[in-house]
Amino acid sequence: MPLQLEVLSHGMERLAAQASDVARQQLLEEARERLGQIDGDALRARLRTRDPRFPWLTAVPTNDTLGAAYSVPLPSPPFSVVATDGSNIPPDRHSPVRFYVLNIGRATLVYGAPSDARLESTTYLACEEEELYLNPGEENIPIEGARLGIKMAVAELEALPEAARKVHPPALGLLDGSLILWGLQGEERSVQAAFLGDYLSALDKLRQADVLLASYISYPGGQDVANSLRVSLCQDHPSERELCQFLGTVRDREIFSGLLEAGQRSDIFDSTSAILDRYEEHRIQFFYLNNGDEIVRLEAPQWVMGDGEKRDLVQGLVLDQCRRSGGYPSYPPALQEAHEQAVISTGERRLVEEMVAQALADRGITYFRSAKESSKRRRGV
Amino acid sequence: MQIGEIVETGSVGFVAQGRELNRPPELGSLVKVACPGYGSTEEDRRVYGVVSFGTTTGLDPGRRAVRRSSEEVYDAAIYREHPQLKQVLRTEFNVVLVGWAASGSIRHHLPPQPPPLHYSVRTCEPQEVRDFSERLFYLRLLLTASDQLPSEQLLAAHLRQVYQARGRDRAWLERAAREVAGLLKQDVERLLVVLQGIDPGREG
Repeated sequence: MPLQLEVLSHGMERLAAQASDVARQQLLEEARERLGQIDGDALRARLRTRDPRFPWLTAVPTNDTLGAAYSVPLPSPPFSVVATDGSNIPPDRHSPVRFYVLNIGRATLVYGAPSDARLESTTYLACEEEELYLNPGEENIPIEGARLGIKMAVAELEALPEAARKVHPPALGLLDGSLILWGLQGEERSVQAAFLGDYLSALDKLRQADVLLASYISYPGGQDVANSLRVSLCQDHPSERELCQFLGTVRDREIFSGLLEAGQRSDIFDSTSAILDRYEEHRIQFFYLNNGDEIVRLEAPQWVMGDGEKRDLVQGLVLDQCRRSGGYPSYPPALQEAHEQAVISTGERRLVEEMVAQALADRGITYFRSAKESSKRRRGV
Repeated sequence: MQIGEIVETGSVGFVAQGRELNRPPELGSLVKVACPGYGSTEEDRRVYGVVSFGTTTGLDPGRRAVRRSSEEVYDAAIYREHPQLKQVLRTEFNVVLVGWAASGSIRHHLPPQPPPLHYSVRTCEPQEVRDFSERLFYLRLLLTASDQLPSEQLLAAHLRQVYQARGRDRAWLERAAREVAGLLKQDVERLLVVLQGIDPGREG
């Protein structure tokens, strides 16, 4: 066994000791206290006027507070939740033909009026030039890796409005992961335009259909709020060195886990992700929410977050979903079912490969995989 | 009435997915499958079987059902609170083959081929049950069925079903009891289980 487990075993003790460090807990407590004291308006002005922007993502407060907590009553049925999730078979460089498969799963759950459910999936096969490349024939930018992820995010969003229009309102449109296509930031302007065009037009449709769009991030790793706290504290108070160093390592969820009771959400923040400058009226905002088991991050366009009634409904409907979760820690069942519909099993992946080989064989083409790939599969000794 | 679709089939029985969640056909009831004829018999045939087991589980074998009830929400309300359950759970029932019919004659032995996969399973009307159970030779197939249920329990359940379908026909029940007594004369313990299970008592 090449992996040296005894080395890892000793390391685990150090790892656990770090997580339970008392000094860290005290700093976390202090960070929470300081967050409650910050003047949101002053911080906002500071973050907005800074040019160039801070090198890290920050959370711009939309309120004069940062550490407040808000509760809402759980909504009563009837209402609906439509969730989508995606999975893909990426282009395989070891295969003689280029193609990718997208499978978009969708769960439409109606509560009350009467209760109903629809679980379905839509599969796309992309194998033509214009499906495989952006700007084919000229730049030939392949849709793979992060770009395939974005393509899938667009397809997930596009699958929402049609289903959401047919169900009993209010309808929550729920996605897993971020609505901020940060992966686009490093791409060429033409790539950004190609994907954003479709994404924003799907957002337009959702807004017109009065769908409460939100995305759900479980165990979020964001540090936006911690970074804002750093901006506020550390530049004017060099004496706060220890706290400031700590803030560079802490996750927002750790801070809010001591500030939000079960069911409560945080203040609403603007993200400073550069790609959002191109989201037009669909700028994404976020808040943290204690779903009873963990702190999750909820993102939504400003037309949801800026409307008190819609924002409260999103909070209530997401909490209601978590209450209906069939497991611990709780997770929205609509997202779980959409995922179940989307997932492509190992057996199905193999089947697709066999179908490709068969289709090629029918035309007299031998399916020849790269020698490297074949050797990995054989693993002969 | 269509009550299910065959999802696994073989020479001695099949498994069907029920149309209604949590409501498989009653244990021991006679069901039928209309099959196209082929092989040695060209005519269409009806294959008869007895429901020998029922179960409701997750559609995906990797997803087990979890507890969903609370102080306020339990039983039927769970299905209203979690509408997706109807899509991710399935009810299945097993059927033991006991005979088949073609050209108007009923045979009490296994059909030449298993009923086809994905074909519909239907309930039998009382008259059909009466016709099929007029002779009792097929009870031997039930007694040797090796399914999840002890065969004497299955036999008793079936006799109770037929007795009801025949309009509480006591004469038939007594005839069936004598037939079973003959079949199980070497195994009094099992015979007692059947006789105890089919005793209509004072109900009539």
